[in-house]
Amino acid sequence: MKNLNKISVLLILLLGLTFTSCETTDLDLINDPNQITVENGDLERYMVAIQVDFARFASTMGSNGARLVRIEQMSAGSYVNAFEPIFTNYEWRLAYVNMFSDMKNAANLAIEKGSRGNHIAVMKILKAYTLITLVDYFGDVPRSEANDLSNFPAPSVDPGADVYAFAIATLTEARQELDLLGNLNLGTDYYYNNNFDQWKKLANTLLMQAYVNTNNTAAFNALANGNNFISETADDFVWEYTALINDEIDARAPGYQYDYTSGGATSYKSDYLMNAMLKDDAGIGSDGDPRRRYYFFRQNDCTPGALKDYTVAPEVEGNQCAVDPERLFCSTSPRPAHYPGSEMVYCSVDNGYWGRDHGFGGGIPPDTFKRTAYGVYPYAGNFDDNRFSSVGLGQGGGGAGITPIYLASWSHLMRAEMALANGGEAGTHLRKAMEISIAKVMSFGSKDGDANLATTDDGGFVPTTTTVNNYINTKMSNFGSGNAEYKWNTLGEQHLVAHYGNGSNSYNYYRRTGYPHTLQWTVEPAPGGFVRSLFYPADEANVNPNILQKPNVGVQVFWDNNPPSSAAGTGFPYAN
Amino acid sequence: MRTKFSGILTLLLAFVVQLTFAQEKTISGTVSDNSGLPLPGVNIIVKGTNNGTQSDFDGNYTVNVDVGQTIVFSYVGFYTDERAVTAATSNINLQMSEDAAVLEEVVVTALGIKKEKKALGYAVSSIKEEAIKDSPETDLTRVLQGKTAGIEITTANGMSGSANKVIIRGMNSFSGNNNALYVVDGVPYSSDANAAGNFIDGNSGSSRSFDIDPNNIENIDILKGLAATTLYGTAGRNGVILITTKAGSTSNMKAKQEVEVSTSYFFNEVASLPDYQDKYGGGFDQAFGWFYSNWGPGFYEDGLGGYGSDQALNGQGGLPGATSGTVAHPYATSAFLAANYPDYQATWYQENGDAKRYDWKPRNSVEQFFRTGGVASISTNFRGRSEDGKYNYGMSFGHVNDEGFTPGNQITRTNLTISGGAKLTNKLSVRGSMTYTKTDFKTPPVAASYGSSAGGSGSSIFGDLFYTPRSIDFYELPFELPDGSSIYYRDDNAIQHPLWTVQNSKFSQKVNRVNGFASIDYNFNDNINLRYQGSVDTYSENNVNSQNRGGRTGNIITDSGIYNTWNNTNLITDHNLVLSGNNYSFFNDHLGFNFMAGATSRGTKYDRIGVNSSDQQVFDFFAHEGFVNHGYIEYHEERNIVGVYGQLGFDFNNWIFLNFSGRQDWVSNTEKNNTLFYPSTSVSIIPTSVFSGIKSENGLNYLKLRAGYGTSANFATGYPTVTGLSLNTQGWIDNTSNTTNSFVGNPNIKPELFTEFEYGIEAKLFSRLNIDLTYYTRITNDLIIQTAPIPLSTGAAFTSTNIGEIESWGIEAIADLDILKRSEGFNWNIAVNFTTSESKVTDIGDNDLIMYAGFTNLGNGARVGYPLGSIFGSRIKRTSTGELIVDGAGNYESEDPDEDQILSFLGDPNPDFVMNYTNTFEYKGWSLTMAVNHTSGGVIYSTTIGTLMGRGLTTDTEDRLSTYILPGVNVDANGVTTVNNTQINNSNFYFDNGFASPASELMIYDASVIRLREVSFGYSLPTKMLDKTPFGKVVFKASAYNMWYNAYNTPDGINFDPNTTALGDGNGQGFDYLTGPSSKRYGMSVNLSF
Repeated sequence: MKNLNKISVLLILLLGLTFTSCETTDLDLINDPNQITVENGDLERYMVAIQVDFARFASTMGSNGARLVRIEQMSAGSYVNAFEPIFTNYEWRLAYVNMFSDMKNAANLAIEKGSRGNHIAVMKILKAYTLITLVDYFGDVPRSEANDLSNFPAPSVDPGADVYAFAIATLTEARQELDLLGNLNLGTDYYYNNNFDQWKKLANTLLMQAYVNTNNTAAFNALANGNNFISETADDFVWEYTALINDEIDARAPGYQYDYTSGGATSYKSDYLMNAMLKDDAGIGSDGDPRRRYYFFRQNDCTPGALKDYTVAPEVEGNQCAVDPERLFCSTSPRPAHYPGSEMVYCSVDNGYWGRDHGFGGGIPPDTFKRTAYGVYPYAGNFDDNRFSSVGLGQGGGGAGITPIYLASWSHLMRAEMALANGGEAGTHLRKAMEISIAKVMSFGSKDGDANLATTDDGGFVPTTTTVNNYINTKMSNFGSGNAEYKWNTLGEQHLVAHYGNGSNSYNYYRRTGYPHTLQWTVEPAPGGFVRSLFYPADEANVNPNILQKPNVGVQVFWDNNPPSSAAGTGFPYAN
Repeated sequence: MRTKFSGILTLLLAFVVQLTFAQEKTISGTVSDNSGLPLPGVNIIVKGTNNGTQSDFDGNYTVNVDVGQTIVFSYVGFYTDERAVTAATSNINLQMSEDAAVLEEVVVTALGIKKEKKALGYAVSSIKEEAIKDSPETDLTRVLQGKTAGIEITTANGMSGSANKVIIRGMNSFSGNNNALYVVDGVPYSSDANAAGNFIDGNSGSSRSFDIDPNNIENIDILKGLAATTLYGTAGRNGVILITTKAGSTSNMKAKQEVEVSTSYFFNEVASLPDYQDKYGGGFDQAFGWFYSNWGPGFYEDGLGGYGSDQALNGQGGLPGATSGTVAHPYATSAFLAANYPDYQATWYQENGDAKRYDWKPRNSVEQFFRTGGVASISTNFRGRSEDGKYNYGMSFGHVNDEGFTPGNQITRTNLTISGGAKLTNKLSVRGSMTYTKTDFKTPPVAASYGSSAGGSGSSIFGDLFYTPRSIDFYELPFELPDGSSIYYRDDNAIQHPLWTVQNSKFSQKVNRVNGFASIDYNFNDNINLRYQGSVDTYSENNVNSQNRGGRTGNIITDSGIYNTWNNTNLITDHNLVLSGNNYSFFNDHLGFNFMAGATSRGTKYDRIGVNSSDQQVFDFFAHEGFVNHGYIEYHEERNIVGVYGQLGFDFNNWIFLNFSGRQDWVSNTEKNNTLFYPSTSVSIIPTSVFSGIKSENGLNYLKLRAGYGTSANFATGYPTVTGLSLNTQGWIDNTSNTTNSFVGNPNIKPELFTEFEYGIEAKLFSRLNIDLTYYTRITNDLIIQTAPIPLSTGAAFTSTNIGEIESWGIEAIADLDILKRSEGFNWNIAVNFTTSESKVTDIGDNDLIMYAGFTNLGNGARVGYPLGSIFGSRIKRTSTGELIVDGAGNYESEDPDEDQILSFLGDPNPDFVMNYTNTFEYKGWSLTMAVNHTSGGVIYSTTIGTLMGRGLTTDTEDRLSTYILPGVNVDANGVTTVNNTQINNSNFYFDNGFASPASELMIYDASVIRLREVSFGYSLPTKMLDKTPFGKVVFKASAYNMWYNAYNTPDGINFDPNTTALGDGNGQGFDYLTGPSSKRYGMSVNLSF
């Protein structure tokens, strides 16, 4: 027994040893095994992330603007509800959390590794675009205190004008960086494939755009006359998608993701834009805008409450489409009392175009096989060759489309605007803008391998050169003879059409000029005042004691000198 | 002591007997306890004399007594019993009945130390075996519902095996885990819920506390306050549920050997369904349509709202062959079928080319959807000890098969425990126990739904079920297309057929778990003991989440067919080395003293690894090779906690008890601020022992006053101090990207601190009323926000921070009254427990509002002056004087920020109070128990109510042909208000100003509920009947759970059960996203002892 006692004491001691040497007493488990450390960051890998995030930013911001100016449909009855603070968290996060943080780390790496001026320049250009866009949409935004958590845990906003000035300086620096000797190429340049002359053109174009917003005619003219901006389609600044989708990534164009599903199309197109492009101006034939078959794909040839063919009299047998309370309830309701005369489109667009009115947010009826879907431009869906068939997975170009971020046609529209505002010759610029916009859009037809791409002369639906020329000539002739309002309306309408796929510029244009006056009004009678700037994102305003949420969406950005919008829907702009 | 004393008595007796002349008899017999087991050591005294004896090991006794005298049987923990001796008496066999409110009760405290309850300066609730076993609920956590004050249990829904949340004394903190710690036989036991995905995409996982077999439990002690849990350190901060299993407690046995078998069968049904109206069918604005909503024409032909005026139904419109009262079959007109399956669609046409017709009438498929599940369980316990008490063993085996009321839901559990102990020498003894558990859980997917299918990327079984329009019978509508894809009534096939979901979408968790301990005790002498205990709890949880291709979730990946498999492994290793000293006494036994000092280390290691696959190639073939795309699932976390602790206890003359304890913890996942000391102290005073004058048989029997002070802390979990980069090998197509993580580490993160004071009174009055009152206050400081949202403009979205302060207080009251006590064998007891806990956020640093659960625009948040857990979201827009604003069309306007530009406060989900009433009647072997729960106050954001009302399904919406005017005001352009008088129709009222409104406030409901929690009726066969059988005890019990409830402030027709949490076992509360109904269970059990 005594032995046993000794043994047991020994046993306890041994156990004590195990206890102290055991892995459960390791108190240094600080590093997260689930992610790499900052030291393992790599410049080229950052550049990939920055370019991808930039495209997402440009695309989602562009969609916000598009909905406000009726390029796309806005689906909430009031402007306040359509742009609740929570809706822009993603965009804000892309800018500050993703891009700006990555740029900060990547710039350090680029400097460390030397001779990386191109990397720095690209980042500066993308950052300047982002900052300008943030100011354009949100007004005063954090810049000088942003992305410096240890010193500024709650960044304050900088005046929009200061941020603009900073962005303009950044673009100027970027141009200089591109000229440094010994610059290396980017591992992957998704935008310009390491053509840095094109990057320089982009920098100049963005500067011009900033000068337009701030009405700096002299600076604008200097650059315009330098003629080193995005003026030809080859220099277009776009993000290209592919048809790839798997567990990790969906690389298809966003509009395609919405509309080409086995359950039909899930987004609504803007009744205003479809109707405007279908009917267009006096003197334009029944084809309307040559781009409409590329922008919109109709699954249906007769929209309840509308005409099957608007060029045929309503009394003709079969031309009047029956109302349908199930799929298009508003086809049974009278026009809203507040809509002006019958020229303003309401509910049902003729010729089978099936969308929704500006500001209509009703429940979703089973209409996904009836709605008009995105076409082949810009998201690589189907070309509308009057096939009137249902959309489905993988159809058309498979989603290998683009998000336009800055197109040559937009530069010319910008020049036309400056000319028109300052008494110059706007027509040539407008003509050029239409020519290259239509050409670019029409080049997308071949993305849809199943489409009948025969011209109208050959029994197909692709506009002939003659049709296109007629269209442009008619437009230009009307423009030439029209009064100032007519000119501004025309320029505005062309602005919207050319910016299909990215409405940021058009939203700025609309706030600068108030045109076109022909926009469809909000279908709800009391939508509140127009959005002059967005609410700050909920994720920012809710947690940043130095940024108080705006009282409403009527706060004007620094360059917006137009009269205020009123809550009653009157005031600026004309069409609310 | 007792033995010696009675020995002396016996000697005295022998002397007395010599002098007695009366007619003396020898009476013998057996004393047993209320379960029929022999009771050794019962004091047996002849009333009014010193004559007496004790029962022996087998409960037998012999005593000499005169005729006419009375024998008194007494034993601690049992009612004292008396028997008169007559000339005829020779044998008295007695079954003593247990006294539920035992004063000299011994309870298990921290680290398994047993103490007399009177010595404790803090509240401990004990729940005995009888209250737990043979319950219709197979999940221990649910069995505990309502059993005592201060503990709040919320279940995800009524599905068998779904997750639970166990909160003791309210939430302390909004980060980390607020769930109580489970300790089984001294071993920390993981109760994690590893749900699939987050609460939006998948809420299907079960809690690992399910692995405990309730039938193997002898006793549960719940340590609520911090003074009680100090020795557990940070792990015990949320309270501790100490479980003593039967197999693990053989040393307490009364008999040499015990065998217990219990078996039960219960039926499991959905507790209640909505009261659907049968007057109107699918459609909107009184027009027919194959919609989600049920605002269509009436099922009557003529008159306002009748189908006679609807072209689709009156036989005058639509496709050829139309007849009045029918509509073209949805599959004949489906645009989806026309586009994708024209051949299949053709089968829905008659030979003459007309579409088949579908009758316009109300249908009841939702009622048919649920089944009656069966819950079968068997549980056996064997335990015994050697004659000399040196060796003991225990073994238990249990099996449960719990079939849910939802098709496809089932959980089975098998437990096997073996345990034993041996005293090797006088000084050295060893003990050990090992339990193996196998749990197999299956369920159709449960995920959040906002009222139009599942909200996330997966399917949800309840997401499309409850609001099936009354004109739809999904049993009449085939759910499978020829290639196996889902098809349903909607024109665009946007809804996944519920029956397709049941058949094709599955989630399962198969768990293999082993936990056990080994301990060695060395007694240096009678006072000093050294113990080492090592324990391990490890489980391997295999998860499979799969869905055949052809689903209709709208998510292209899910609809292509998914197969996700992953394994969660969790390992808790725990060591404890304790030196303790007991029974020291000084100053002539006036002062007692004990001490304890220990060291412990605990490591928790969690690994998840698995594969996601999508794009299924062959329908119904589930192997990763059968899928085109593959991704990974991986996560690792490891943390160690090392602690040292000590305790000093003093008592003076057994009427004042003082206790001091403290613990220092170190954690492994932070570099700075990784250690903390928590002291606690408590005192207990027994006035009835000091001032015997205040004590009387029919007045105050016993009084105890107690006070405690305790502290604890919560350390940040995960890896809070480091900032990393996310690496993505498909940053774009084939290019790898790295991007700054949106979480930025905080190297200065500190533990959050809890300080608690508690005061209590325990009393026994009139020999029949027991009262236990506790009041506590608690302050949480330096709250950790594990992923605190920070301004995005800082370049990060989240960090870990310490901010602020929360004050909370609460009352826990327990009263137990014997209304009738042993009056002609009839007992009637009423037990009531009452809980209220209130909290107030008093400081959150520079922040206006911190949203910590749910969404950023609707969820639980912390805001100064509001209770912790308050729901914040958008509300109806108000004027400056608080009037509700109605827009020109007659609908409410909404606003996110309130007058302070902060997200609006919508309500407090914490109940005002919770009361549980339990009535127990006993007569001879019969017993009847009824338990009623009343939860008063608290709010819930309910998508179930919102959707059923908004889609016009229940009887609440049957009166719908008139117009409605929302109470509120219109504000004109000049800010002038006028009373709203715009009329709106039914869909505007219920749909647009209900669940479809941007104002979340419209879906907030009061969650008060009264519930008949339990009714049970038991019968224990009399011992006499069992004399000739091998059984020591036979008990039959019929019981029923949750047979009735009424959430009296919610719309009547919904029959909504607010005890549900859509946010799983996380810190979110007060949210229901069509999460599923509760269950009711009823059936029988038989319990046999040998």
